[in-house]
Amino acid sequence: MNLRKLLRVARWEISNTAGTLDRRSVLLGVAALALVGSTAVAGVTGVGTTPNDGLYRVGVTESSPFHTPVDRATELEPVSPSDDRATLRVVDTDPTDRSARVVPPQTQKAQAALSAFGDAVRRHNTQLMNREENQSAAFPVRVTVQYVVQSDTGVSVDTGGDGDDDSNNPSDGATTDAATPADDTVSVGTATPAVTQSSDRTTVDGQTGGDDQTPRRTATAAEGGGLFGDGDDGAGSLFTGQTTGSPAEIAPPFPFGSLILAFLFLVPMNFIVQAYGSTILNERIDRRGELLLVAPLSALDIVAGKTLPYLTALGVTTVGVTLAVDGGVLSVLAVFPVALVYLGATFLGAMFARSFKELTFVTVTITVFVTTYVFVPAIFTTIIPVALISPLTLVVRDLQTGGVATTLGEYLFSTGPFYVASGMLFLLGAGIYREEDMFTQRRVPAKLLDALDAQLSGRLSVLLLSAALIPFVFVAELLGIAVLVTFPEELTIPVLLLQVAVVEEVVKSLPLYAAFQRDRFERSYAAAVVLGVLSGVGFFLGEKATAIAQVVGLDNLPLGEAALAPAGLGPGTTLGLLAAPLVLHVTASAVAAIGATRTWRQYLLTLGLAIGLHFAYDMSVVVVLLE
Amino acid sequence: MSDFQFLRRGTRRVVAGREIRSLLSEKTIVLAIVIQLFVAGFSSFLVVGLVSLYSPDDSQAGLVDTAVAGDDTDDLTRAVQQTPGLGVQQYTSREAARGAFERNEVDAALLAAGGDEGRIAVTVLVPDSNIQTTLVVTQVRTALRTYEQTERAQRSDQLTRATLDPPPRSASNNYFGFTYTVLVPLLLFLPVFIGGSITVDSLTEEIDRGTLELLRVAPVTLTEIVEGKLLAAAAITPIQAVAWMTLLEFNGTPIANLPWLTLLVAGATVVVIVLGVTLAIATPDRRVAQTLYSLLTLGLFGMTALSPLSPINAAARLAIDTPSPASYVTSVAAAVVAVVLLVGVRQVVPWERVLGE
Repeated sequence: MNLRKLLRVARWEISNTAGTLDRRSVLLGVAALALVGSTAVAGVTGVGTTPNDGLYRVGVTESSPFHTPVDRATELEPVSPSDDRATLRVVDTDPTDRSARVVPPQTQKAQAALSAFGDAVRRHNTQLMNREENQSAAFPVRVTVQYVVQSDTGVSVDTGGDGDDDSNNPSDGATTDAATPADDTVSVGTATPAVTQSSDRTTVDGQTGGDDQTPRRTATAAEGGGLFGDGDDGAGSLFTGQTTGSPAEIAPPFPFGSLILAFLFLVPMNFIVQAYGSTILNERIDRRGELLLVAPLSALDIVAGKTLPYLTALGVTTVGVTLAVDGGVLSVLAVFPVALVYLGATFLGAMFARSFKELTFVTVTITVFVTTYVFVPAIFTTIIPVALISPLTLVVRDLQTGGVATTLGEYLFSTGPFYVASGMLFLLGAGIYREEDMFTQRRVPAKLLDALDAQLSGRLSVLLLSAALIPFVFVAELLGIAVLVTFPEELTIPVLLLQVAVVEEVVKSLPLYAAFQRDRFERSYAAAVVLGVLSGVGFFLGEKATAIAQVVGLDNLPLGEAALAPAGLGPGTTLGLLAAPLVLHVTASAVAAIGATRTWRQYLLTLGLAIGLHFAYDMSVVVVLLE
Repeated sequence: MSDFQFLRRGTRRVVAGREIRSLLSEKTIVLAIVIQLFVAGFSSFLVVGLVSLYSPDDSQAGLVDTAVAGDDTDDLTRAVQQTPGLGVQQYTSREAARGAFERNEVDAALLAAGGDEGRIAVTVLVPDSNIQTTLVVTQVRTALRTYEQTERAQRSDQLTRATLDPPPRSASNNYFGFTYTVLVPLLLFLPVFIGGSITVDSLTEEIDRGTLELLRVAPVTLTEIVEGKLLAAAAITPIQAVAWMTLLEFNGTPIANLPWLTLLVAGATVVVIVLGVTLAIATPDRRVAQTLYSLLTLGLFGMTALSPLSPINAAARLAIDTPSPASYVTSVAAAVVAVVLLVGVRQVVPWERVLGE
């Protein structure tokens, strides 16, 4: 790669893009942005219709005191009790007293309406009491919620079943420290240490006993400022809910905070990435890219040069959004790798796609996948360590006043797969940045094989590629854990193990299939076994990178343990257990490689065998370890 | 009504058929459906996950052991006992309760003490870093509300207003409405958005590759080609929407007023596709066309969603079977705007000249 050449391509890309913009498009774009902006502002400030306006009709007489709360609730629409469209009827025989009978039919809708009605009445009561002179009689109870780390829980999720998950884990004591990141951590970002109660608030004094040793977080947004932590005394932040006030004001931690974050960061990225995909695919239409290809530039120069402007735009957007939500350096550092993966995946997608239509679908798929990956785990930000697989968790922590500090290990665990994966995506795409793949209408699977084959040269490269693909395996498996963690353990472990076996065997053998089909290696069984062994060894070495997982204590989660134990990382590891996974990987990929020398069907057959082998091994290891 | 004649004439249908076949052969439509399936699955996963987190009845977490300690805790204890899903452990002192909580012997602790102006201050200890946190906070809040009512009743002589008795607890999960206000609109309007996006791609690509020029030697006019493409995209989207609603119905979510929902989606589709066609022709390349298309669709959709004729609200109310007159009007309005646009675009825009350039 040559920096001067790279910058020249970048400059060319910028001037080229600017050239396609005419005044009309710019004006339209500005108008569209203004429209989106004003809509967003209107939506945030709560002007206009909401989706749940008038979802349920409540039959209530106008004379009843219950008419007012129904009328005020947006979800409810008051109708006459005789109206047969009413979902729910309030029978108020005596409008002068303060009670009434509700007769809901036994339908889900009526029950939901009843729940909304209850909320409306409680809100109304609070409003009534707010107007009272004597506020201490109106709100006689004042609540302060404190989130406290309990000493013995570790991080294992109590699924309500057997309680002996921890007891057979001999390394429990050793890993608990890492697993409760609240204490003794090095702060990467600007997170402030645990905030205690500010003295002007009504709190309970008197329990000074063991207070000081307890890592405690009273997540009041005392320091204010910003979208996610503003408000004065008692107003809750988006991530922890309201923590002080009357019981009605207490709000549980709100799981949608991270979704809003995901949208804030990813939606602007989406536009940049879409344009990036277009420019890459544009080169491939009508052999337009040929001029660049024959220029004295390497494929990497061209790719990097064309990418640089968009990467810069993504960086600027990330910093902008971070400033808007009042985040710090950690937020930028956490989101940037996500942008890299987004860009890398789009690049590869644009190299594979045969038409703009296909590219649109590829882009949408990437968007959905990336959003899901960063969002699902982040819901559990304050709850379970799985959340750390999403960099958004780091952003949430960064935004929380008094949130948990992030260690370097945690940062690497969270973003490492993103960095390596984006690098691999770009390499795979750059490998087929050549005439025969760019300007032909080859099928996508064929291009994938080309891309994999292009990364291989000698036998040792098999080992390297196999190891380098680990982040994708890691990402796929972690996503599996994150999705399955809410379901009962007995059910999910076999499903998870099957997923692990499929993902790992495919990753190990697909490059070999690609190489054999492109006649890179001699199609003999001997060669297949040798390459299979090499691929297995490479994967095994790469898999040791998952040792990072232990740093954050993922293995304390039963599911995490199940996924990692077969790799020899589980508790009670002996030399035998360490050698076993190596033997497994080598054998399984050698089996799969034999079919890979032949046809697609024979490859599928041996791949199936390898997956079966892998699954059986994993299952028995987990059964032995968890029994 | 000669303007609708074009829908029946053969050449457009040929072009539309070609368009649909090309979508099928590229398997792109499959990808589109996979995406939607993923979004739907993901949303239901969210609903299931959230319901089990928030609703004590559906959760397998069992009883939440709650330590109660402090001065004069009889009423507080009773309130906790009355709350389903909470179990009471009484402690003699706040220190003891806090200790028990920290040793993980109980799942939550309520420490009561006298506060200012005769209030009662309750400190609630809930576990951090635990999947139960949200559940615990929700349940404890229920107990504390009951407690507040009791305490308020004891001070009623100091109050001038009386509160209303809340209705009995509902057996519903709070996310029943979520299905209709989020999932249904999402499944209805995501295909619409994607449909318009395909049209932009299809046209910009033909213009870009110069294949539109080639088609001129075929016995079809450019207008017919554009309308054929329009027809193809407009046909696919409502079919997808109906399919999704049928699937939801199978899944136990009753969907009412399907014809009205279809009309709404069909109208919205045509509007969005006409926008797409216009942008594809009016702007120089795909990057610009797609970006403008996304932004404008997003903005327009957001604007209408806030207006009284909100398509999201209309979809939700129609599907849950609480339609208002505005819901019907929204559907009809979408259809009317669609027809006006179809006819208008056909009459006003000189396609042959625009495309010939």
